[in-house]
Amino acid sequence: MNFFRYKSKLFPLIAIGAGLFIVIYGLIMADDLLGCSIFLGGAFVWLILFGCGRACLRALPAFAVVAGIFFAIFYAATGTWVAGWSMANRFGAVFLAVVPGMGCEPVRMTRSLSQVHTPRPITLGMLIAMSFVPMLRGEIRRVREAMKTRGAGSVLNPRILYRAFLVPFVMRLVNIADTLALSVETRGFALGKAPYTIYKKECIALSDILFAVGLIAGAVLVAVL
Amino acid sequence: MEEKKKTEERDAAQALIDNTKEIEAGVTEAPASSAKEAGTADDENKLFRKYKIKDIVFLAIMAACMLVTGSIMPLVGNIPLFGIVQVCLGLQFSVFPVIGMMKVRKAGALLFMSVCCGVVLVFMSTVMFVCILLCAVIAEVLTGLIFRSYKRDGASLFAGTVFFPCTLPFLYIYYNFLYTSQADDGTAVSAFIGADPAVAIGMSIAVVSVCFIGALVGMIISRELRKSGVIKK
Repeated sequence: MNFFRYKSKLFPLIAIGAGLFIVIYGLIMADDLLGCSIFLGGAFVWLILFGCGRACLRALPAFAVVAGIFFAIFYAATGTWVAGWSMANRFGAVFLAVVPGMGCEPVRMTRSLSQVHTPRPITLGMLIAMSFVPMLRGEIRRVREAMKTRGAGSVLNPRILYRAFLVPFVMRLVNIADTLALSVETRGFALGKAPYTIYKKECIALSDILFAVGLIAGAVLVAVL
Repeated sequence: MEEKKKTEERDAAQALIDNTKEIEAGVTEAPASSAKEAGTADDENKLFRKYKIKDIVFLAIMAACMLVTGSIMPLVGNIPLFGIVQVCLGLQFSVFPVIGMMKVRKAGALLFMSVCCGVVLVFMSTVMFVCILLCAVIAEVLTGLIFRSYKRDGASLFAGTVFFPCTLPFLYIYYNFLYTSQADDGTAVSAFIGADPAVAIGMSIAVVSVCFIGALVGMIISRELRKSGVIKK
C-alpha cells in the first residue's frame, strides 16, 4: 500500500534525475525564450506541488537577484532584451535544478544509493561531502573569530591569509577528518565487500512516478507546441 | 629433603626465566614481522594501494571544501568569456586537491575528490562536471606515467597544476561547436568570446598560472603541516 500513498518528499534518485533533466533541458532550450520560460514556470509549480515548496521559495530570491543582475548587464551590453531573457532562462534552469537536490537529505540519498549497490567508498564520500558543508561554514567562522581575537589583521593580505587563516583552517580539517574516521570505524563501517543492512529503505511511490511523468510530459509539450 | 626442595625451586626459577625469555623473543619478533607485513601492504612506492576509511573521509572533506568554494560556478559559468570559470575557480580547485593528494598518496585520490564534488556540481554546471571527471582521469594517468607513484611532492604538484587547465580544450570544443546561437541572418555564431584564438590562448595562460600558484600554496601548506606533525607521511 506504501506505493499508493502521497509522499511529501521525493524519492532521492528521482530527485537527482529531475535536477539533471531540468538543467540540461533548460540550457538546451534557453534560446527558445517563451517556451523555456513556460517550462521553467511549470516545473516550479510542479516542484511546489510535490513537496519542494520550501526549497523553491529559498531559491527564488537568489534567482531573482542573480538573473536580474545578468539581465541588466546583457541588456546594457547588447541593447536588446533577448540576450538578457536567454540568460535569465539559463539561470532559472540552474537554480531550479538545485531545488530537488536541496529538498533531499544526504542520509536519504546515501540510503538510496546503497540500495542500488553503489560502492561503499562513494556513498560514504558523498555523505560526508554533502553533510559537511554547514559544518565547514562554522569552522570558517571560528577561524575568523580567532583571527579577530589575536588581532591578526585583514584576510585580504595574502601573508595573513596564509599564516592566520589557511594553515589553522587546514589543520582543523585534518583533525576533524581523523576524529570522523575513527567515529565511522567504531560504528562498524567497513570498506570492501562486507555485507551491510539498510534499516530504513527508501521506497518509490506513485507520487514520484507521477512527478517524473509530469515533468517529462511538460518538456515534450513545450518542445512540440 | 632440603636438597630436593632446593632443586625444585631452582627448576621452577629456571622455567620462569625460560618462559620470560620466550615472551621477550616473541615480543621482539612480532613488531618486525608486522612491520614487514605493513611494509608490503602499505608501500609508498606503489601507485595503486588500498584505501582506508580515514583516506576516504579526508578526501571527502577536501571535496566539500572544493564544493563550497566552487559554488560560484553557476554564476560565472554563464558569463560568455572563454575560461572565466577556470580563472575564478582555479585557485581553490588546485589548493584543496593538492592537500588531499599530499596526505593520501594513492592513485585515484584526485578522481575520488572529483566524483564527490561533482555530485553537487552536476546540477550547477553539467558540462563542467563531465569535464572535471575526464580531466581527473587524464591528470591521474599523466602523473602515473611520469612519476610512477605519489611518493614525491612533485607528483601532487603536477597533478594539481594539470587537473583544472585540462578542462580548457573540452570547453573550447563545447563553446565553438555546441554552444551556438542564431544570428539575425540565420547563421550559427558562437555565443562565447572564446571563438577568437588569441583570447583563448591568453585565458589559457592565465588559468595555468593560477592553478600552478594554487598547487604550490597547497604543497607549502601540506609541508608545513607535515613538519608540525599534523599530517603524517
